[in-house]
Amino acid sequence: MKQHLGRQSGVQNVEVSLLDGKVDVTPKEDGQIDPAQLLKATYDSGVTVAEMDMTAQGKIVKDSAGNFGLQVEPNRSFVFAPNELSKGLESLADSQTVVTVRGQLYKKAAGKKKADTSAPLRLLLLEVVKKE
Amino acid sequence: MKRKNIALLALLGLMVVPAAQAQVKHIEMRVEGMT
Repeated sequence: MKQHLGRQSGVQNVEVSLLDGKVDVTPKEDGQIDPAQLLKATYDSGVTVAEMDMTAQGKIVKDSAGNFGLQVEPNRSFVFAPNELSKGLESLADSQTVVTVRGQLYKKAAGKKKADTSAPLRLLLLEVVKKE
Repeated sequence: MKRKNIALLALLGLMVVPAAQAQVKHIEMRVEGMT
């Protein structure tokens, strides 16, 4: 799995801990990494992802449907799963403020053996690390 | 001409810096079925 993930676009380094089933992925400096692709690649390597967390920085944006999200690249943004933390960032939409957040992108549904990798990833904010 | 070049550079800087600041910094997964 480590080699399979290491070959994915934008991946700098992969650390696997067999003991606690943890996989740490360090993106390349350019940050051109696709978490959805990573999720699919992990599943393709025969391993089930129970949870995926991400730390990212970017700007708060509001899409045409009125959803708020974090834009990490000019053409890539993650829509927030609404919670108290995301509500607190809504006022920063379309401003120049860069925020660093930690959040959960994926969690396997309880009782499901097979992960649904086709559903769009929503970012459930766990922590607002920095606003600048 | 020189002033125009400086203004152009400043404008490019404004466009490039926010893009460079935005990025995925770290991804952590908890997996099952790993041997």
